[in-house]
Amino acid sequence: MTLFRSILFFFIFVTPLKANTIYDLIKIPNLEIYETNTINRLRYLYAVRPFRLGINVKKNIHCLNPDKKTLDNKYKIINKNLNRYSSRFLKRINLRYIVLCENLSIAKINTAGIPNSEMRTLILDIKFNDAYFERAIHHEVFHVIKDSYQELFNEVEWRNFNTKEFAYSDCSTCSNKLSLVTYNKTKGFFTEYSKSTASEDMAEVFSHLMVYQDKTYAEDPIIKKKILFIKNNITTIDTTFKF
Amino acid sequence: MINKIKITKSERIILIFIVLLGIFTLGPLLIFKNKCLFVKNYDPSKITFNNRKDIAVLNAKCGNVIIELYPDISPKAVERFKNLTKLGAYDGAAFHRVIENKLIQAGDLEFGKKENLDYGKVGTGKSGLGTIKSEVETSFKYKRGSVGLARTFQLNTEDSQFFIILQDEPLFEGEYTPIGNVLYGIEVLEKVKFMPKFHIVPRPDFINSLKMLD
Repeated sequence: MTLFRSILFFFIFVTPLKANTIYDLIKIPNLEIYETNTINRLRYLYAVRPFRLGINVKKNIHCLNPDKKTLDNKYKIINKNLNRYSSRFLKRINLRYIVLCENLSIAKINTAGIPNSEMRTLILDIKFNDAYFERAIHHEVFHVIKDSYQELFNEVEWRNFNTKEFAYSDCSTCSNKLSLVTYNKTKGFFTEYSKSTASEDMAEVFSHLMVYQDKTYAEDPIIKKKILFIKNNITTIDTTFKF
Repeated sequence: MINKIKITKSERIILIFIVLLGIFTLGPLLIFKNKCLFVKNYDPSKITFNNRKDIAVLNAKCGNVIIELYPDISPKAVERFKNLTKLGAYDGAAFHRVIENKLIQAGDLEFGKKENLDYGKVGTGKSGLGTIKSEVETSFKYKRGSVGLARTFQLNTEDSQFFIILQDEPLFEGEYTPIGNVLYGIEVLEKVKFMPKFHIVPRPDFINSLKMLD
């Protein structure tokens, strides 16, 4: 029994000490500070080595360290877009840390970003498709918003905006509806990816609003309802929010 | 009959040399074993403070650490810290979490006191006064010597435990409730016992006393 206790004591207390502030805060290894002096108090971190981690499923998220030149260039774009969110709004949606890396994947499926509102973190793939990069940033921010305000962004209510014949897929990667090209004729959806799930549809509406505002699409009655839904709920979170 | 053997001059010189060699080799070892030898011990009675009611004096193995508290930045947290200090609650509390050149943490009043140190639970103890809300809204740059209240992974769980950082930590701003800064004696904290690769310090150093100046 004494031997057992000694072994237990050894494993509990004599484990290697991770004296790493960033890891202690957000539980992602191999990161360093890129920028902390920002107007909205967002902290930008970047991968200095590849990392693996698991959110819910063990170690299924993988990302590589970016090269300095790409990082510097993409940071300007990311910072410009994220500066549109005030520190007040970011606090309300639980977003504080932006992790920059490249070739981000979850379960070996590439993705633009992975939000984790519990850790107040958004991981962004800085090499995600350049054509939709800015939209993707806002798209991922919306997932953070929705995670923090599940009750506001009710999917049942959202589904009712669509025609009765339409049904979303079971998950965002359960279909081949992955194109991010904006339709010329929307017919209730901005992109093919919008048709994957209600959550992705909401995120696509939000990201289109953030990048293009609502100067077009006014003639699509379904899109109009969806835009109104998103705008109303976002301003419920922060009345000063500007699209 | 035993003849007395007289020591020769050369033997005497060798003997003296060996004794001196012993003194010069072992002497410094004995001197340097005292880790506090070159640590300046600040006497708060010889220092002029403008805000004496916000000055706390922590006495540890190598001397005094003089801390200025910031009630304007974190009123609730400073009030908690002052109340516990005035009760003498921190006297005999272990520096239970020490990361070399980075951070020291103390103030577990339940499992981290000298008389009832519990290695299995130290760091999880409470004061019995309940938790207080995090005060992280005001801008505060965490620099070497900054003092903050420790918490669990969740905000609003601050209680009695506090930490002092030994290097700048920009990411702590907005995460941890600041309560003050070390004005004098941070080198005392650098001598606090730590164990590389250990989460907690076996047979740790203790706070001798923690008192408010006024």
